[in-house]
Amino acid sequence: MTPMSSPAESLPAKRRVVFVVGSGRSGTSTMSGTLQTLGLHVPQPEVSADETNPKGFGEPQWVVDFHDELLKRCNVQVSDSRPQAWFEAGKLSNLEPLRGRLRDWLESQFVEGGPELVIKDPRLAWFMGLWRSAAMRCDATPAYVTMLRPVTEVVGSKQKYYASKFGEVNRTAAWVNMMLHTERATRGSARAFVRYHDMLTDWTVPVFGLGQQFDLDAVKSASANDIRSVHAFIDPNLRRVQLTWDDVDVPPRLREIAEESWQCLNTLADPGGDTVDVHATLDELRAAYADLYDEAEAIAQSTALAAHRDGLAQQPMPVQVTRRGVDRVPHGVRSMVPASARRGLRKALGRER
Amino acid sequence: MSDRDIEQLPADIACLEGEEAYDVRWAWQDRKLPSGLTCVFRVKNEARNLPWVLPPMLEAVQHVVVVDNQSDDGTPEVAARVAADVGAADRLTSTSYPFRVSRAGAEHLATPPDSVHSLTHFYNWSFSHVRTCYSMKWDGDMVLTPEGVGMLADLSWQLEDSNAVVAIPRHPLSIESDSVAWIDLGFRFLEPWIYPMGPEFTFVKAFEWEVREFPTSSERIIAPEGMCVELKWLDSDEFSHWSSHDDFGASRAPRKLRELEVYRALMEGRGDEVHGLQRIEAPPGVHIVDHVTGTWLPQQQRPLVRRPGRIDV
Repeated sequence: MTPMSSPAESLPAKRRVVFVVGSGRSGTSTMSGTLQTLGLHVPQPEVSADETNPKGFGEPQWVVDFHDELLKRCNVQVSDSRPQAWFEAGKLSNLEPLRGRLRDWLESQFVEGGPELVIKDPRLAWFMGLWRSAAMRCDATPAYVTMLRPVTEVVGSKQKYYASKFGEVNRTAAWVNMMLHTERATRGSARAFVRYHDMLTDWTVPVFGLGQQFDLDAVKSASANDIRSVHAFIDPNLRRVQLTWDDVDVPPRLREIAEESWQCLNTLADPGGDTVDVHATLDELRAAYADLYDEAEAIAQSTALAAHRDGLAQQPMPVQVTRRGVDRVPHGVRSMVPASARRGLRKALGRER
Repeated sequence: MSDRDIEQLPADIACLEGEEAYDVRWAWQDRKLPSGLTCVFRVKNEARNLPWVLPPMLEAVQHVVVVDNQSDDGTPEVAARVAADVGAADRLTSTSYPFRVSRAGAEHLATPPDSVHSLTHFYNWSFSHVRTCYSMKWDGDMVLTPEGVGMLADLSWQLEDSNAVVAIPRHPLSIESDSVAWIDLGFRFLEPWIYPMGPEFTFVKAFEWEVREFPTSSERIIAPEGMCVELKWLDSDEFSHWSSHDDFGASRAPRKLRELEVYRALMEGRGDEVHGLQRIEAPPGVHIVDHVTGTWLPQQQRPLVRRPGRIDV
């Protein structure tokens, strides 16, 4: 068996990969773009900017495509409110071909882009196990930045910029599911929680903290020009949606869990706030959310079954199996026909083997 | 309900010998068990291995139960010290099972399953200490790699109500010295280790040993390779817990035959002749176990084992 090239031997500099996670529309692009501007490498090419994100997404196209493929395979959507979806997505992490594929891609990015990478995609949280494994195999230290923004602003923001496919209730539920489980998945790893609001007020404070905490050379050795570029990149007007619960209409129990989750997550962003007591409260909230979802699912089961029937009805009709004439003749009878005669018959019918 | 209250409940499996403290009482009879994964070690004289085995496991799962079975090498004390050293003393439950347990093979077959001497009862009693909704059995000589820690840490909260069962491949690592070991990649050692807690997931008697039941509807997940190694020190008799080498039935214990083949070859200095057995040498100053788990395995090309395997239940 041939060992793969040793990353440690080929690249003496210490490798770091920062994963920017959290719900979409929470400032993940701002964080990714800031770290990129300071010198961390965002794998190229990136998803192009559009009117929903005029400063760009900071998302590598390969990563988005890879995650889309995986989401399709496990039947999970980017904003999925099912607690069970974490199990479905997590299962893919056990597939060695995927681990190997991601490791190879990540290794190539370290070789091309240098020892410090930043990877962001709102889909990434579903597959953190795969990414952690890839980082380890590339001899890189993974670190996670979770962006925090009040749920009301995220839900409002999404309603404003995305097709209104889902209502505020489902958006809120998906936010709770994403944020509580992202917190759970990053527990025990090098991680930081950053409020979007703090980034827009004075980005230097949280970003300096990340540089120290994750030992990021690009941040620690940022030049004056880099700093100026980040100031030019971050536009406080980006925080265009400022909504409260008065603007978002969701059922009281969901609202209660969402608000308490936000308060708890917000505590994690305080210095020394990432404590076991907060984790315990977050565990209780996750359990409460799972119970609420179970109830809602049970109540809405008829809707789910009807949708399933609809889906089945829209499937194309199965192709009619055309029976060959020869199949109607019993095998015992067919075997009585000499082989040479069978060949002749097949030839005459144009069905030579 | 507290553990003391659980002890007052009628036994779910009363032991044959009437030793009430060793009757089995399942916590799930009384309440829904909370989220989390508990690792259960049944150990006998594993003092040498636990400093390698326990720290990564305590990093991965919420709780660890160590059930000592008549060790005379200070195993329980080492477990307590190692857990304290990593700041996890409160996540370790240490207990002891004071009965001689029949050896795997013919001795086991002759022992009734509800006897305190049966592996089956021993397992059920050990797992009755689990207070989370998922549990895993683990051997006192199996060391998780950093990737293995991450995988288990994820499963510990992702499995929850899934009812899935997880099989984890392991790679025997025969230790020749602090800097040299032989890893066996010529055979696929795959076994289910992780199960939900509940009435459908208890231990029953099989011919050579115990098996854990699970419904056919349970989803089976197979973890990737390279998640753990099984330490085998060449200076100790690895086969002492079998009643006789002749008990290795070729149909049910091919892995045991393979282990014996590898062990004999290494003791006779013929390691190079065994297909799939690889010699690994650690760089100076690095212990071979750290080298294999932290560097060698993560960087090795996949698949590690190029032979078909089976789920060995």
